[in-house]
Amino acid sequence: MDDTQRRVDAIRKDRSELENHIIDEYAAGKITRREFVRRGTVVGMSIPLVSFLAAACGGGGGGETTGGGTTPTATGQVTAGGNVRVALIQPTTEPNPLLVQDEGGAGLLGSTGEFLSFSNEKLELEPRIAESWEPNDDGTVWTFKIRQGVQFHSGGTLVANDVKETFDKLINPDGGSANAQSALGGVLSPGGIEAPDDSTVVFNLDAANGNFPTLVSSANYNAIIIPADLDPADWGKTFEGTGPFKLESFTPKVGAKFVRNDAYWGTKANPDSMELKFYDEEGPMILALQGDEVDFVEHFSVSGGKALLNDPNVNVIAVKAATHRELHMRTDKEPFTDKRVRQAIALSIDRQALVDGLWEGQADIGNDSPFAPLYPSTDTSVPQREQNVDQAKQLLADAGMTSFTVELNTWNGFEIPDLAQLVKQYAAAIGVTINLKITDAGTYYGDGVFGKSTWLDSVMGITDYGHRPVPNVYLTAPLSGDPKVGVWNSAHFKNDQYDSLVKQYVAALDIDSQKGVAKQIEELLLDETPIVFPYFYYFLSAAKKNLLNTTSAATGQFDLSKAGFTS
Amino acid sequence: MARFLLTRLGLAAITLFLLSVIVFFGSQVLPGNVARRKLGPFADQSAVDQLNHQLGTDKPLYEQYWNWVSGLFHGDLGTSLSYNLPVNQLIGPALVHSLKLAAFAFVMVVPLAILGGVAAALKRDKLTDRVITIGGLSLTVVPEFVTGIILILVFGLWLDLFPVSANAPDGSNILTQLKYLFLPALTLVIVLFGYIARITRAGTIESLDADYTRTAMLKGLPRRTVIRRHVLRNSLLPTIAVIATQTGYLIGGLVVIETLFNYPGMGRLIFTAAQKKDFPLLETGVLIVGIVFLVATLLADLAYSLLNPRIRYATAE
Repeated sequence: MDDTQRRVDAIRKDRSELENHIIDEYAAGKITRREFVRRGTVVGMSIPLVSFLAAACGGGGGGETTGGGTTPTATGQVTAGGNVRVALIQPTTEPNPLLVQDEGGAGLLGSTGEFLSFSNEKLELEPRIAESWEPNDDGTVWTFKIRQGVQFHSGGTLVANDVKETFDKLINPDGGSANAQSALGGVLSPGGIEAPDDSTVVFNLDAANGNFPTLVSSANYNAIIIPADLDPADWGKTFEGTGPFKLESFTPKVGAKFVRNDAYWGTKANPDSMELKFYDEEGPMILALQGDEVDFVEHFSVSGGKALLNDPNVNVIAVKAATHRELHMRTDKEPFTDKRVRQAIALSIDRQALVDGLWEGQADIGNDSPFAPLYPSTDTSVPQREQNVDQAKQLLADAGMTSFTVELNTWNGFEIPDLAQLVKQYAAAIGVTINLKITDAGTYYGDGVFGKSTWLDSVMGITDYGHRPVPNVYLTAPLSGDPKVGVWNSAHFKNDQYDSLVKQYVAALDIDSQKGVAKQIEELLLDETPIVFPYFYYFLSAAKKNLLNTTSAATGQFDLSKAGFTS
Repeated sequence: MARFLLTRLGLAAITLFLLSVIVFFGSQVLPGNVARRKLGPFADQSAVDQLNHQLGTDKPLYEQYWNWVSGLFHGDLGTSLSYNLPVNQLIGPALVHSLKLAAFAFVMVVPLAILGGVAAALKRDKLTDRVITIGGLSLTVVPEFVTGIILILVFGLWLDLFPVSANAPDGSNILTQLKYLFLPALTLVIVLFGYIARITRAGTIESLDADYTRTAMLKGLPRRTVIRRHVLRNSLLPTIAVIATQTGYLIGGLVVIETLFNYPGMGRLIFTAAQKKDFPLLETGVLIVGIVFLVATLLADLAYSLLNPRIRYATAE
């Protein structure tokens, strides 16, 4: 036995069953090196440790098929200091970690706040407030080691109790964070968090969960760690956090300025300051970048920002993502009670044309399940649904529905009205008349509860969903038959077999088990087709050519602490 | 004159009362529950009910209206539901921004449009008239976002003469602020010029054709004196009324221009308040725009009465 193997054995003795399972999978060549790194970081192995094991254990054959940015950020030597100006979409709520439910608000939270870990563009978890984390053998208890010596901007020292209190507030059913609970509902219940000492937090889960560290990372953008005694409603007064930048000024509706936090625990921020400017629409953001009034656009769409895609003065950063649209059809209402009718609508759609026309190719084709191609657990052997007008017509004939009229509801944001128009045209080709009803977002979403929301009550609708590093939320909230879980179930889909499969998927701790269940879920959803998932589009950011070392994640998080200018 | 003023003020007060009723009850038509929208779909119904109770949005409408109006009389404009800040902290800066842009646009467009209108009338049916009326009308019918985007592309990006955003950095001097405001103000000039010039032209032609003008000419007064003393004084009456009615639009209706130039004015503030069902901000914002509009029309009435004494005499009788 050589020295390397002895070191590997020594390491494996101290690792959990789950971690050893992932090492075995890699050594056996079942997962790629990239996937090994991603899974390893999720279950709590540090990046240096994973890198050592990846080199020592070999394996990892096969192609690099998952995660990763399609166009990585430009990196290089930069000068110290400077002020980085960022165009950010206008936050829709006050800056309150419990209330933020949008990308602009998430950008504000992440400007000064830090998470237990940062979910990067490769879907890896980079340790931040948590130094490490590990599960028990069955994944029902996760223990996080909290970094010591971390100072809040106001001077207090962060301890494990701050983490516990932060998450207790987020999951409080009586006034917690709706968005955080979309990820943690049914996973972590009040009373499930302990802080036995200043450096340890223990999460006792409702059920086994192999992706839990992701659910409490920056992917859950409400989960910035704040002092235990801070009322989240007062957070907007100070933007209290531990991050590399601290607040200098904040003007609602206008923007915010942050300066370097010299007491930061890690590598100090390179820029002297970072300035956020809020924009109501992406058009002015793009003009501002071209007019040299900002250096970085946090997010833009292909439809609104075509001018940037070929601009030689701009670096476009494309990160593969699971951001998508869902075309729901109510399974409990005519004309969609017969699954053949739903299948016919799905078959009428030319997905490649949508990806090319609406996204200039900056998207992956969907296969009518939440399993986006970038997820490692997605079983890509499930046949892709293609456009087939003849088959669609035959299905309608078999269902006795050769022609009917239905109303499609949606709202007037992004490319959604164009998508609705195209769906209408595709449906017309199989004899279905769709009347579009496109309103503003407020009217479409209403109160967001059944009976008071066009989104949740309409027979047919198109809804936008943001990126999640794991598909758990997409599998539960919009598709679960359990009324407590399926709170976004606009298709009113109820299928006991599906619910049972999702439970198995969530509990599965290794990629093989997840993939096995994923295949069954994908096939079941293709057959039932409560929702059409036409595409999953990439997350695009843009930086001036002279701004390097920016980091974007598809969740809308960005890290500019290493950014700087070349001249 | 005092009676004239009192009458106008009385009418303004009645208008404001009606406006407050329309704004308040009109806002209630907006769909959605205030607390549910704030807390999100996962919040328990008990938490939603509790927040509605805390905000007072579960009370009968007449009681909510009374609380709002009595608050206004005590200087309490309420707290924004979406920003959790006193409404005056949001409306104050936005109103200042809007007034700055409106004033700059007025300073540019009013003399230009009046000169254009008078010149067109004096050169009636000639090339100058055609250029001003048809050119002005053509520019007016172009949507403001199209005009704005063209100005941004030409003067902001290609020629790099003006900033593409309108909000100058904090602490900027007046010249820098004007430089930032130039493109949105120019957009407004283009939008308003044709309309105001056309009204001025019509008023001038009417005055030129009037008996008193002919009499003045026949008296042997120089043409310049006739135009200054007799024509302009009368021809500007409808123009003043038109300018006053544009005030409300310039203060509270510039949603598109403010969005395009990323300018934090009243239009965007009120629009987003309506989108978010932020009643205190929406209602007070609209009321403030209404007050500005009423003040502008009152000033227009005063100017009108000074230029045309028959109006104040008619009111006084």
